[in-house]
Amino acid sequence: MLFLIEYKRSEGRIVTLKTFDDTDRSKAERTRFEIELELNQKKIDHEVVLLDAADERALRRTHRRYFETAAQIANSLNGSS
Amino acid sequence: MHDATAHTSQGPQPTMATLSKTQIDRLGDRLRKGRPSEADLRLLDEYRLSFGDAYDAIIRTIREKLQLEPTGRTAKTPSSIAEKLRRESIRLSQIQDIAGCRIIVPDVFTQDHITATLHDTFPETRVMDRRKSPSHGYRAVHVIVMTQGVSVEIQVRTALQDLWAELSERLSDVVDSSIKYGGGDPEDRQWLLLISDSIAGWEELETRLHPSPDDQAFHKIVASEKRNLVKIIQKKISTLESNRKR
Repeated sequence: MLFLIEYKRSEGRIVTLKTFDDTDRSKAERTRFEIELELNQKKIDHEVVLLDAADERALRRTHRRYFETAAQIANSLNGSS
Repeated sequence: MHDATAHTSQGPQPTMATLSKTQIDRLGDRLRKGRPSEADLRLLDEYRLSFGDAYDAIIRTIREKLQLEPTGRTAKTPSSIAEKLRRESIRLSQIQDIAGCRIIVPDVFTQDHITATLHDTFPETRVMDRRKSPSHGYRAVHVIVMTQGVSVEIQVRTALQDLWAELSERLSDVVDSSIKYGGGDPEDRQWLLLISDSIAGWEELETRLHPSPDDQAFHKIVASEKRNLVKIIQKKISTLESNRKR
């Protein structure tokens, strides 16, 4: 599954999250680029990233900074291997 | 473990159908200077999309042949590319992580095993062991696969290495964007390095002692150390956040 994330770094906040089927990769890449163009034109510095993961659980495991605060990330140290 | 071992003496040499290496590097020079024009963003996107076939082939192999679950990122963001060009004396055509993926594994033993498997699976690879030479506290193994004329980066991190990396990234987002590359307040940098060193120490101990899951004494000590570290981290995060609000 493909996850298109627009993320406001300074606030550590996801602005939009869109999902696409694996078969819609071209459409997802086009949408990513359209958002990049629009933000660049408006001089808005959001991060736009297209991630390709088995499901949202896998995405949240490998890219937790988009979803968790620093305190939440640190807390998970107690349960880590 | 293979440290920065190249299967080939040749580096990645992107062979673009429409963009020459000179055009790519001139684009990189312009990106380094500031906000890109629409034309340059379009050119950059064309360049990034040219990694798609190589990326697909590598992800498919990792999922189907190696039965691993990577999260892929098809295209590095324009701002990350521009920051890298400004930070390092590197040309756009030399950036090796335009496309890539990340694999999180439980421990160093599995990390070593998967690194060796990736090295054996792909004909042309280069292994960068950032556990031996951490980058501002960042520890991981990066396997760069050269295929179809481009390079794709596979990050292999243990859960603990990933925790540190995500913490550092998150603090770079909300506190100071230069933290993860050794900038920002020296005290904050030292603090992050201290956490990285603690994690490295546990992983080294684990590698040396190779404790069984039943070794309660070992796991009890490590769990206690982790609880203490979480307290230290939480205290620091509160300070950083309250400073930021002022």
